[in-house]
Amino acid sequence: MSTIHSHVLVCAGAGCVASGAHDVSDALQEALRKHNLNTEVDLIHTGCLGPCAIGPVAVVYPDGIFYQGIKPEDAEEIVSEHLLKGRPVERLNFKMPATAQIIPALQEIGFFQQQQKIVLRNCGVIDPTVIDEYIARDGYQALAKALTEMTPEQVTDCVKNSGLRGRGGAGFLTGLKWEFTRKAQGDKKYVLCNADEGDPGAFMDRSVLEGDPHSVIEAMIIAGYAIGADQGYVYVRAEYPLAVERLENALQQAREMGLLGTNIMGTDFSFDLEIRMGSGAFVCGEETALMRSIEGKRGEPRPRPPFPANAGLWEKPTLLNNVETYANIPVIITNGAEWFAAIGSEKSKGTKVFALAGAVNNTGLVEVPIGMPLGEIVYDIGGGIPGGKAFKAAQIGGPSGGCIPRQYLNVSVDYESLQELGAIMGSGGLIVMDEDTCMVDMSRFFLDFVQDESCGKCVPCRVGTKRMLEIVDRICKGQGEEGDVEKLLSLGQQIKDTALCGLGQTAPNPVLSAIRHFRDEFDIHIREKRCPAGVCPDLVRAPCMSACPANVYVPGFVSLIGEKRYAEALRVHRDSNPFASVCARVCFHTCEDKCRRATLDDSVSIRGIKRFMVDQEVTIQLPEMRENEANAKRKIAVIGAGPAGLTCAYFLARLGYQPKVFEASPRPGGMLVQTIPAYRMPREELAREIRMIERMGVEIETEKALGKDFTLQQLRDEGYEAVFLGVGAPLGAKLPIANEDADGVHDAIEFLREYNLRGNATVGKKVVVIGGGNSAIDAARTAVRLGAESVTVLYRRTRDEMPAYKEEIEEAENEGVILKTLVAPQEIVVENGKAVGVRCDHMWLGDFDKSGRRRPQAREDGDSFVESADQIIAAIGQSLDTNKVLDNVPAKLNLSGYVAADPLYGQTSVDWLFAGGDASDGPSSVAEAIGAGERAAVGIDKHLTGEEHAFWREEYDVDTEFDPDADPVEAPRAKMKMLPAERRAHNFNEVELAFTESVAVREARRCLRCDYCAEPAEETASR
Amino acid sequence: MVDKEQGSCCCTEEASEEQLLARLDEVIADYKDKPGALIPVLQLAQAIFGYLPENVLRKISLGLDKSYSEVAGVVGFYSFFSTQPRGKHIIRVCLGTACYVRGGKQVLDAIKDRLGVDVGETTPDRTFSLDVARCFGACGLAPAIMIDDDVHQRVKAARLQQILDQYIDQDQATAASA
Amino acid sequence: MTKISSPKDLAALREQAREAIALRSGPREIVVTVHMGTCGIAAGARDVLATLAETLEQEGVKNVTLRQSGCAGLCEREPMITLADKAGKEYRYGKLNKERIQTLVQEHVVKGNPVMDYLVSN
Repeated sequence: MSTIHSHVLVCAGAGCVASGAHDVSDALQEALRKHNLNTEVDLIHTGCLGPCAIGPVAVVYPDGIFYQGIKPEDAEEIVSEHLLKGRPVERLNFKMPATAQIIPALQEIGFFQQQQKIVLRNCGVIDPTVIDEYIARDGYQALAKALTEMTPEQVTDCVKNSGLRGRGGAGFLTGLKWEFTRKAQGDKKYVLCNADEGDPGAFMDRSVLEGDPHSVIEAMIIAGYAIGADQGYVYVRAEYPLAVERLENALQQAREMGLLGTNIMGTDFSFDLEIRMGSGAFVCGEETALMRSIEGKRGEPRPRPPFPANAGLWEKPTLLNNVETYANIPVIITNGAEWFAAIGSEKSKGTKVFALAGAVNNTGLVEVPIGMPLGEIVYDIGGGIPGGKAFKAAQIGGPSGGCIPRQYLNVSVDYESLQELGAIMGSGGLIVMDEDTCMVDMSRFFLDFVQDESCGKCVPCRVGTKRMLEIVDRICKGQGEEGDVEKLLSLGQQIKDTALCGLGQTAPNPVLSAIRHFRDEFDIHIREKRCPAGVCPDLVRAPCMSACPANVYVPGFVSLIGEKRYAEALRVHRDSNPFASVCARVCFHTCEDKCRRATLDDSVSIRGIKRFMVDQEVTIQLPEMRENEANAKRKIAVIGAGPAGLTCAYFLARLGYQPKVFEASPRPGGMLVQTIPAYRMPREELAREIRMIERMGVEIETEKALGKDFTLQQLRDEGYEAVFLGVGAPLGAKLPIANEDADGVHDAIEFLREYNLRGNATVGKKVVVIGGGNSAIDAARTAVRLGAESVTVLYRRTRDEMPAYKEEIEEAENEGVILKTLVAPQEIVVENGKAVGVRCDHMWLGDFDKSGRRRPQAREDGDSFVESADQIIAAIGQSLDTNKVLDNVPAKLNLSGYVAADPLYGQTSVDWLFAGGDASDGPSSVAEAIGAGERAAVGIDKHLTGEEHAFWREEYDVDTEFDPDADPVEAPRAKMKMLPAERRAHNFNEVELAFTESVAVREARRCLRCDYCAEPAEETASR
Repeated sequence: MVDKEQGSCCCTEEASEEQLLARLDEVIADYKDKPGALIPVLQLAQAIFGYLPENVLRKISLGLDKSYSEVAGVVGFYSFFSTQPRGKHIIRVCLGTACYVRGGKQVLDAIKDRLGVDVGETTPDRTFSLDVARCFGACGLAPAIMIDDDVHQRVKAARLQQILDQYIDQDQATAASA
Repeated sequence: MTKISSPKDLAALREQAREAIALRSGPREIVVTVHMGTCGIAAGARDVLATLAETLEQEGVKNVTLRQSGCAGLCEREPMITLADKAGKEYRYGKLNKERIQTLVQEHVVKGNPVMDYLVSN
């Protein structure tokens, strides 16, 4: 026997190994040996435990104590204190959010724990091929009870009172159906089971038939007894051979035991069942079509009434339920109607099985009480979205259903609530979609499906869906027109009103629901000819390009780097984005998130390559400029010398204009110079690119503030024909708690600006930063560098929800910043008029808010605590004083309170005024500001000349070598190196180190060249 | 593998046309008096012949006392029935939602490329026929394809040949042992 | 197979079946269930069953009952098995292959140490 009493799990995931897990493991082993514990304690290397950022991490079982950031020298203490004496080392101890815990026992795993299994009670538990196992788990007891203790009426009433509703789609009360069929006149009646589970994405019926076939058989016999039938059919789709095999075997066993056939269990009730296999027609899932198919005919639906309860199979009264509905019956009979009615929501009783699929970690079947919030199914049971991507929508109900977007994650999943949102429960297919799914493309998929599967009998379904498909097809190809969406809506409504069967009537649902919740996505496809998700092939040259807000020709410059043609590469980059060097440092590379190489191994380090590229530049080259005397005479003002304003000026200059830029602060650069710290954005690099823009004929006048030194109207009076408003969102939001104005409380923007523009800022010894965004992290890391003894960041949700960029958070922690999550400040504690701390409540994450994130709520049991501090920096948001800026110019505001601008041209509701960047979008990224600046330049040119002249937008191919037939060479993604934390935490030197030439070139060659397709496409076409 | 039953197959060589027709007669006799017999008989007939040639349909129409047009109408309605000779193995590529989201279309393109046939066609050597399907309920394993009765999970273009080879090898083994 | 001609017969058979199962998965026994739905089989559950049988044989393990059942619901981690140990505690292992099964048999079945790495957890 082994005497092992504890397990120490050391994470050997890549992250922890990188931060020294092997050394820690060796040290632990050594310490165990020293204390003679190596025979009693097992040291185990596990796969990644999740929280890589705080590695190396380890868990000690059985107590489940989690240690983070372990160093080899901590090993001795862990062994001598915890393993020998049973006292966890608090210094290293860290309470995990529930999600990242590893729990060994099956019963405690979240995926299984939160489910309630009624339908799936035996699936995965019994051997479906052995009837004894079903009987051992009370199988056929319900049948015995029904046959010997209950009348058919009582059985029917029991089902009725349970509140069970049909699990196949519309959710009709099962008991009522039974009653209608029981009361129907007829010498011969039938019981049917619909196992033609055709909705793509639903497979619970297959699972029940394969895993617990007797539960369906038992239920159908009970149904036969209740309605007075002696014959039944199970209609199984041909795609489920294993289900057929197991059902066949189960029928055989039941017959042999006298549970099926004549005189069941010695009573005078007789009933038999046959299997009928489908032959690949989706429409046969519709009840009238299914019955025709059993009759041996073409499976075409017919109008109802008459309903099957009166005239069904061979015109006899027929009861039809689906597999999942039947699987509930034996338990209802055994445990009683009241027991069942106590589960679920008010109008929807019992449980529902969902087939979780798509972009979710735990794909599979889950059974939950009806009424569970959608978010809990997706996150608590489904384990959330893989790859840290964002939840976009869940498609429920297959081709008859619709999608539920993230603002409704709290929706109770029941028949009525789903219907209100335009989806249906359907058969329970639940497909999770992340940000990479295009809703227009999804609409096309479902239309293609119903078009293909339409039986063709009625015109609305056959022709109507075809017309809808043609329209959506056009939209996906970039040939959409204004009015297309309206056409789709009216066609959809017509089909709903006039199609013959349930499937036809619901066929437009997926499209109607996509339009309802994602109308803007259709509009972007139609107006901007753009697919934001990067899916529609005709609108996406390469996914990285469509992900880049500035639309940089990424594969172009990357492949030029692969051939060491650096100057040309930079030219390609600056064709769409002047700030190559800035973006090489601060851009958060949405391009890399969409990189297709990630499906092979890992995304290309596009920013790393860019960083190498800009370092090769000796003298800055000017881009192609087209002189234009007429344009040069027009007066254009750009307000704000941030990335949006300077980009706008840059592109105007390329068109021959000579705009003038007004900047309120002493130095141009906007947030790039005022708040982004120098360790991320060396000032000389920024100055170089600004000088380039000035050399193009752009004049920048500093210390000229709109609303203080001049007004928009004055500019008009001075003859400016167009004005671009790029003033950003420069005000920090105030804390909404008591004593927010105490001495020692600062706002992060002010703090950063003071340091960055004046070269110094007062910093406390014990600094607390409140907030979870990028400014919070920037402020925290700046405070570390300015000599604060401790810097703590307080955030009210968890780390996963922090809006700050992951890598920044990790670097901040490496530099000693302490992160405290799930705490919410309640008041600033003041002594003698000076802030001395923040009183906080402990929070937990409750239901989902409109952004699809869980809402932090104060824990009732949690005491509040005071985080002491002598300086408190609030980084909870930014704003813009639009009254001051606009000063009676009647430009409209958008819903977020910023200046509303047209997405294509940046034009505001006042025709000469254009806006972009944070001033219009609210705080967003540098790349987005650059993109907005470019669009406004095009818009201003169009406004002044009536035409577009954006010559840089014309598509071109680079002439780099590429062999499309060659298999991609396997190569891991190159990592940018960092200055070691101890060498960077106390100065403002740039922390990131560029690639060497060989690394950069190799990395560039990892690009799969998604842009490369024009020629091969023609070739295929001509073949 | 646990269940290897190829050796126990009774037919050592291809059954003759007459033998097959005789088997069809048995099937028809079995089902003649059952209500709704047409579809099960067609399914079994397709299993016997591999497809449904005209003479077989005529025989069924006579045997079950149904008009030829009714039989042909039913055959035409259901996508599983084929009046053309099919390959030894039927490949069905799932294009259900989950598979579509996870790249089922790319898998289909890769198979078309590799076999040189389009959907609904059969390779010249009659080894494989290619079809698309709408979900066989293996969504947790998307993208999935089904070859005969086996579902193959998480199919990647790179792994396709390996999967197809299994069937080719199996055929050769059967041929060799015969 | 016995014919059931009354509810009494059924009740008797239930007791009998329960006893048989209890005997099989009694306090001194380990029961390993291989989940064999379509998804499991597609992911290689048949090979898992075969390898398990083979490995148990090789290791000379006698106190393990091998059985099959339907899908356990978590397709993502297929092929899966559930191991119920002597105390009745259940462990579910996922994404199994030959190597993992051999490790499982040697570690968990023979030595009684659950293999954390292979456990299905969130």
